[in-house]
Amino acid sequence: MGKDRLLPILALLILLTASGSSFYVYATQTTTDTLLVNGQRYTIDQLFSLAQPRVLNDSQYNGIALDDLMLKTGVSHPEQHTYTLRGADNYEKTVSWDNMKNGLLTKNRESIFSDLPNAFRVKDIVTIEVK
Amino acid sequence: MINKKFIAGIIVFGSLWGFAECIIGSLFRDANLPAGALMTGIFAIGLMTLSRVGFRQPGMQTGIGLVAGALRFFNPFGGCFMCSAIAIMAEGLLFDLIWTGFSLDSKKTQSLTNQVSLGIVSTYFVYVGGYLVTQILTPVFSSASFHLENLIAFIPQILASGLLAALIGSVSVPVVFSVKRIDLALKDRLYYPVTIGVSAVCWGIVITNTIFIVWM
Repeated sequence: MGKDRLLPILALLILLTASGSSFYVYATQTTTDTLLVNGQRYTIDQLFSLAQPRVLNDSQYNGIALDDLMLKTGVSHPEQHTYTLRGADNYEKTVSWDNMKNGLLTKNRESIFSDLPNAFRVKDIVTIEVK
Repeated sequence: MINKKFIAGIIVFGSLWGFAECIIGSLFRDANLPAGALMTGIFAIGLMTLSRVGFRQPGMQTGIGLVAGALRFFNPFGGCFMCSAIAIMAEGLLFDLIWTGFSLDSKKTQSLTNQVSLGIVSTYFVYVGGYLVTQILTPVFSSASFHLENLIAFIPQILASGLLAALIGSVSVPVVFSVKRIDLALKDRLYYPVTIGVSAVCWGIVITNTIFIVWM
């Protein structure tokens, strides 16, 4: 059998894999009004009342300071940890304490860092894990 | 001996792809359209298929990716532009490997089933490959460093996101094969002026756009 005859079979397998992954993503998508920060659940309003406000890029982005949020939620020796921000779609990014000092959490539960590229803008955050 | 026509082909196709990534891709993103899938499914796969069917030369798409990626360096906007440039280069290499791996240059004509299948396979692998390269390189080039667990957790989304690109590719590749049947070959005396002119226009627009954005 010529290699090119394998093409339709491979194409079918790809469509099945991609469709299966789409169903998996849809089924595992989290919907919650709260955020799990350092093992404790908070609403976004509770977090905004806890931490200091922060503004980035000449007031383009407003929110609360991620480093202050970690301190207020009980993280000790913060520079010894890394922080994983996870979205409802399971997109996650791990950052250092230095990054957290340049980051904010918006009211829409999105992370923005002045020292990191757009790929670190995790949308609809459901968990901030301290490692 | 260097085939000048082949080199000119690499430059013009690479310039068109790079121009599309820098200018048209930005317009798609601004309009909240699925820019990645559209860019890969229509422009990247369309241009690479057209060049491969036309020249039947292994290695050409790697060169096209290098030229398109180089042009992306001149448009330093939209996140990690260096990662995007490297991802474009990787996409060219992947296309080349798929086409060569399936020995598709040996047949002059392909059945419609094979054209559609080729569209799905090449677009999906090129899109997912480019996506993976970007996900790995962006943290590497940033101060946050790469964490494998972040990538593993997002693999199902990456595999799912390639579906739209693959479906677009299943249409664009047969369309390119149909276009190729119409004889679009340029007369020899027009070949170099047209390829050099088109390439120069693409580079000129991208560089002017960059200067315009930086100064404004």
